[in-house]
Amino acid sequence: MFRRTGGLIRKEFAQIVRDRPLMFILVWAFTAAIYSAGQGRATETMNVATTVFDLSRGPASREFISHLQAPYFKIVSYLDRESEITASLDNGQAAIVVIIPPDFQRDIDGAGQAHIQVLTDGALAMPATVSIAYIAAISARYSVDVLDRRARVAGAASARGPALDERLRVRFNPNMLSSWFAALLELLNMCTMISLLVTAANLVREKERGTLERLLVSPARPIEIFLAKIIPTVIIVLVLSALSFAVVLVPAFGLPIRGSLVLFFSVTALYVFAMTSMGIAIALAARNMAQAVLLMILILQPMIFLSGAWNPPESMSPWMRGLSLVSPLRYFIDFAFGVILKGNTASMLVWDIAGIAILGTVLFTLSLLSFERRLRAS
Amino acid sequence: MPSRLLAIIRKETREVLRDPIYLALAIVVPIIATTLLALGFVLDVKNLPVAFYDQDRSPLSRDYMYAFTDSEYFRLVTIANSPEELDRLIASATVRAAVVIPPDFSRRLHAGESATVQILVDGTFPSRALIASGYITAIDAQFVAMLGADYAARRGFVRTSMVPVTVDGRVWFNPSLETKNSLIPGLMVISLMFYPALLAALVLVREKERGTIFNLYCSPVARWEVILGKAVPYVGLAMVVYALLFALNIFVFHVRFVGSPLVLTLAALLYITASVGFGLAISVFTSTQVAAMLVVFIGLMTPSMLFSGLMTPVSSMEPSARFISRFIPASYFIAMVRGVYLKGLGFGHFAHDLLTLAAFAAIVYAVAILGFRKRAG
Repeated sequence: MFRRTGGLIRKEFAQIVRDRPLMFILVWAFTAAIYSAGQGRATETMNVATTVFDLSRGPASREFISHLQAPYFKIVSYLDRESEITASLDNGQAAIVVIIPPDFQRDIDGAGQAHIQVLTDGALAMPATVSIAYIAAISARYSVDVLDRRARVAGAASARGPALDERLRVRFNPNMLSSWFAALLELLNMCTMISLLVTAANLVREKERGTLERLLVSPARPIEIFLAKIIPTVIIVLVLSALSFAVVLVPAFGLPIRGSLVLFFSVTALYVFAMTSMGIAIALAARNMAQAVLLMILILQPMIFLSGAWNPPESMSPWMRGLSLVSPLRYFIDFAFGVILKGNTASMLVWDIAGIAILGTVLFTLSLLSFERRLRAS
Repeated sequence: MPSRLLAIIRKETREVLRDPIYLALAIVVPIIATTLLALGFVLDVKNLPVAFYDQDRSPLSRDYMYAFTDSEYFRLVTIANSPEELDRLIASATVRAAVVIPPDFSRRLHAGESATVQILVDGTFPSRALIASGYITAIDAQFVAMLGADYAARRGFVRTSMVPVTVDGRVWFNPSLETKNSLIPGLMVISLMFYPALLAALVLVREKERGTIFNLYCSPVARWEVILGKAVPYVGLAMVVYALLFALNIFVFHVRFVGSPLVLTLAALLYITASVGFGLAISVFTSTQVAAMLVVFIGLMTPSMLFSGLMTPVSSMEPSARFISRFIPASYFIAMVRGVYLKGLGFGHFAHDLLTLAAFAAIVYAVAILGFRKRAG
């Protein structure tokens, strides 16, 4: 029986490896695509493009403007006319406009209160909120400087007033490197997508060509055919993940591996088993590749969406949090970040591993049963 | 000649229509996907769960905590009794940020000295951690400015306890600052790149796998007739999806729309034509359906998401990323979609974008037609 299964596995393996463009894309997916995701900085709100409309044009306003700097702000131009305000937001040149009132200098020199106006492009909702907070911090700090100056002018011996000294400690990713997060997440997404896609595609192709029926008359039992369909994908995904660690994640991004790689790859194997089983189930339900890929998106998209990586669990509504319990990717992401970044051991991740194992068993059994039914029917 | 083109269009249309499951999926999947994302996708970082460990327990420390919870950025989860409890709350992701207020907090601040607060932020989601620490810094800075103004007034250094500079933030185009107004139109941009390209990418390669491509090879049709004939039904299908998505945006999600539907539809037609062209070009150059699908997923989808300005405004990107974004059709369409939806800009504003999309379309179709070689045997 083992020889027979071995032969079938070899055949499936050859079918994937033989497809040169496919192999090229697979290697690309696990190297270049992960590299570009890590580089992407897709979600950071940094270097917000800013234009300044300075109506005061005095030393005070220049001093204030000098605080609008990298990494939060990038001044792209200074405006001369009021009409340019709208234009600079309309044409996407700037995401925010800072307007300094004409009497800014007088208010600062005297005892008044100056109002700085900030206009943000609400079409970019997130940068808008965040940049208003950054400017609020800058103007508060500037206010403290002004107060100190006023106190000195009034004859205070020590001008410094109350202050807060922030000791910031960021857990798990001290430098808040988004490359670690984005690149590792992309790897996990690739494992998910490729396992589903390649397995489903191979089975659908056999259905389209009618070669599946040929396997029926062979002496192989359904479970052997089933395993032969998924084991090559599991092996390919594991090898490519290892490649991704060796070529991209560690050398290019300096991703720290704080936990055990043996643990990581064992659970990854379990997870890929679950995903490939799901791939078989999708292929059985679809009549052709186009149907299969649409079905896959229908399943894949909520899975990624509910995984907690795009949307932290606390901003999900209760029904979404409930649904996320049946997304294997949720446990896998939690597990992978735990092992790699937090250095957690198996005993600390027992819930995640159990989640993957249980969902994996369910998927495996259901899809094996429908596979057997399908073979018997034909 | 046009009759041959028409024949191919007819044949391809029939192929789409005679598979009702496929047709239903092709229309329903983008709508379900958009609905799910629109319902639950929260891009803004607000109401972050926060915990405090207040060793001071004074009116001032309470004011300080109010400064956090009064802002829309933080939501108080609990006041911890020990630093270990804070650590546990962070490790279990119950809170994303925690603040330790020292015992001498109010004494030092009242005396005009500096007090040290410890801040813990969960770095698991780096961009959120960065935003959270930005908010904390802003709240701290404003708290200090207020205290400073008070302190200076009490000492008689200044006449009033007003903070010298305040910020008045106003938001244009999307005054309620709802992410749905910017997110949902953005989802449409991604959908109209992804689905048309994906479905078109399978068209020729499917025939290659089945062997029916040889019927085309040995027929008298010209290469351009094959490519355009295959494109037309898919452009039509995608326009139906576009119309439904647009209706979903307006009537179900009540996304702000102040522009002209005509401008948007013209832009969508050009964009979809280019998307289908991309798919067909991929189909010409691959030999299996799975390879074609993966190229769409990885080669087309991922860059469109990263560089189009969906997440980060193009104006804020690094020069290299901004350069890449110029070669991505989604960048132009997203600018138009936001301009039409939220700003109500018209044709005059988009002449350049429309021409660029047309140029993209022309290039991909040229590549697909030239790449599609009729081979014998």
